[in-house]
Amino acid sequence: MTKFAHQVVIVGSGAGGAMAAYELTKAGINVLMLEAGRDYNPKTETPMFKRNADAPLMGAATSDKNFGYYDATVDGGWSVIDEPYTTDDESDFLWWRARMLGGRTNHWGRYSLRFSEHDFKGKSRDGLGADWPFEYADIAPWYDKTESLVGVCGTNTGLDDMPDSPPGVLQPPPTPRIPELLVAAAAKKHGITAVPMHRAVLTRPKDERAACFYATPCGHGCSIGAAFQTTTSLIPMAHKTGHFKLITNAMVKQVNTNDEGKVTGLTYIDKASSEEVTLDSPVVILAASACESARIMLNSASPGHPNGLANSSGQLGRNLMDSTGAGLGATIPALKNRPRYNEDGHTANHLFIPWWGHNEQHKLNFPRGYHFELGTGFREPGAWVSGDFSGYGESLKDEAKANYGASVYFALRGEMLPNEHCYMDIDPDVTDKWGIPVARFHWQWSEHELNQVAHGLQTAKTLLETMGATVGELPPPEQAIAKGGEIIHEVGTARMCDSPTDSVTNQWGQTWDCPNLFVMDGGVFASNPHKNCTLTIMTLAMRNANWLAGQIQQGAL
Amino acid sequence: MTNSNPNNSSYGLTRRQSLKLFGMMLASAAVPVLSGCATSESKVSAVASDWPTLTIEPISVAGYGQDPSLIMPPPSPWPKTLTQQQIALVSRLTDILVPASNGQPGALQIGAVDVIDEWVSAPYAQQQRDRDSILRLLIWLDEESVRRFDQPFLAVNESEQFALLDNIAYDRNNIEQRLQQPAAVFNRLRSLVLAAYFCSEAGSREIGYQGNVAISGDYPGPTEEARAHLDGILDELGLSEYAYQP
Repeated sequence: MTKFAHQVVIVGSGAGGAMAAYELTKAGINVLMLEAGRDYNPKTETPMFKRNADAPLMGAATSDKNFGYYDATVDGGWSVIDEPYTTDDESDFLWWRARMLGGRTNHWGRYSLRFSEHDFKGKSRDGLGADWPFEYADIAPWYDKTESLVGVCGTNTGLDDMPDSPPGVLQPPPTPRIPELLVAAAAKKHGITAVPMHRAVLTRPKDERAACFYATPCGHGCSIGAAFQTTTSLIPMAHKTGHFKLITNAMVKQVNTNDEGKVTGLTYIDKASSEEVTLDSPVVILAASACESARIMLNSASPGHPNGLANSSGQLGRNLMDSTGAGLGATIPALKNRPRYNEDGHTANHLFIPWWGHNEQHKLNFPRGYHFELGTGFREPGAWVSGDFSGYGESLKDEAKANYGASVYFALRGEMLPNEHCYMDIDPDVTDKWGIPVARFHWQWSEHELNQVAHGLQTAKTLLETMGATVGELPPPEQAIAKGGEIIHEVGTARMCDSPTDSVTNQWGQTWDCPNLFVMDGGVFASNPHKNCTLTIMTLAMRNANWLAGQIQQGAL
Repeated sequence: MTNSNPNNSSYGLTRRQSLKLFGMMLASAAVPVLSGCATSESKVSAVASDWPTLTIEPISVAGYGQDPSLIMPPPSPWPKTLTQQQIALVSRLTDILVPASNGQPGALQIGAVDVIDEWVSAPYAQQQRDRDSILRLLIWLDEESVRRFDQPFLAVNESEQFALLDNIAYDRNNIEQRLQQPAAVFNRLRSLVLAAYFCSEAGSREIGYQGNVAISGDYPGPTEEARAHLDGILDELGLSEYAYQP
């Protein structure tokens, strides 16, 4: 191998890390990427067209494969063998990890919604949480570039909770399906609008990636590259620049600093040999996921950084946020025995319900919005058959056939506010297999989130009843709300704000305390709008890696 | 199509063993079982119960792990554990639940018993719960059959089998207490057999799943027939004026 002198080390190969790697290598900067999991090739490993009948247990979820047998996640899920995490006694928190090249981008939902100007200025609006250190106008061109590169299908809706993209950026969305059209009409009756979802799925070919052929759930991964994941796009593209080198099975233990507190490099465990390897690097970018990056920084305390690396603000690990989640579904009698056709589509929402209450927020008893994703359709039969059954024989089969594709499920995804009870630190008593102290989570929903969920459940009930369903008594929001971390939108642990006293990084993801240490994952989020974090993680990584490239080229770093 | 691993006969109970246990049943038991809803559990208190209370050994083999091949799923990820007698009984139940008809194969013909055997032999929590309750149901069916007809389930005639099942297959909310547990578990088994059937090629076709085919060009969306049907629904629900406009 020819000598490769890296200028930047990036920890993590998911949405943030891969985008940063592509942007830097494109600018001619040598990047070494470390990934804690194994190498992964979607072209040869994705179970395209595989049927549930061919999988163990009809593809059902198990403790080994938490989202079902064919889910793309490798060596991960709610638990990673030999790499535990803990919670305090009062907290429930779940942390989804993947130990594979491309990280969680291999199985993500691909929902890609821009944040709005009001999302970046929530505190100015209602006094809660924190503002971001820039305006929507600053980041809009980067959303344009990211959407163009990634490939997002959808339409410009003109809604102020869904900023428009410039003409030609979005690809055409797939046509809506019958239950989605029914939901849209029921919602419209109540003044609520359903619109095409924005998804990072190609409906037209791009670069070397094919357009969607409308088969195989995107969560299985996508061998043809239609559903965006870094392993079929940014990582191969970075490789092609000739400025990219990758080491897999490299579990980062800590970032190293010198006597002046400046970052000098990092130490990782080579999982194959269990040996520690120390690397020097002029610049380090952490993009290991919000909680993994914060864990590394908290585990990198030194005399110059006694409370954890770049934690002079005390905000590292704080402000941990997920999206709120809750759901309500019912059988719609009118949809029973409806005419069959292929409803796979791009295998997720063609229509969804964006937040409609933004301009009326002051009249509500919760400060931030939510949206509804819809669960409907003639899905591939699996281990769970919907219906409340009776008897046996021909009548039983008929009942199951009548119920097929007749249910509608509303999945709420909402914005939570940071609060002092939601944070992560390092468990003083537990280390993982590699001897690295583990993350410990603390969690408590506030009335903001509970009131929002109560509102969402009531709205879902109204819409279900409008469609003719019978809906029983609603559960209290404390019961209905998903656990912290369960929606897998955890962000905020190294937030960016205007001031070094209350944030970990500046608007470029550059830590206030160490100019050559950057965070380019969801950790930098100052707030967590309800609009699914990945598009904004990628957009910020592109923008900030571009700025970093300029700094390196100018000799500033 | 079926094969029970002879080395694993100790996992389950033979009918002879179960009949022997029948004489030793104690009154009163409270065992967690699955209720009609597959994901929620409830305790059904069975006063004067004849629900089998024997110990059923859990499965302790390894699962398929966090990185199995998704391209070539293991055809036999763990040893199947049903005994020949249990296989015979489950086979009969699958045939009753989803019989072959109108030229369509039924659950028996598509091999649902193999799916059930794999399911109750799996080392995961949900499957272990199902194992515990379904194996008890199999014992209970034979014992109930002996109580009513002096013969185990497979030895009585079809109308007697139906008569027995009719007691646990309907109206679970108003069922006599003694039958609540068998009815709840029968419902769980029924769901699994339906799932196995509709997962099969024939069942998938019959339920009307038309996806998993590559489409070139844009997704075509609903057929004219499906759109017309929706128009009817919107009209019926008074929603026509709110129909979606792209």
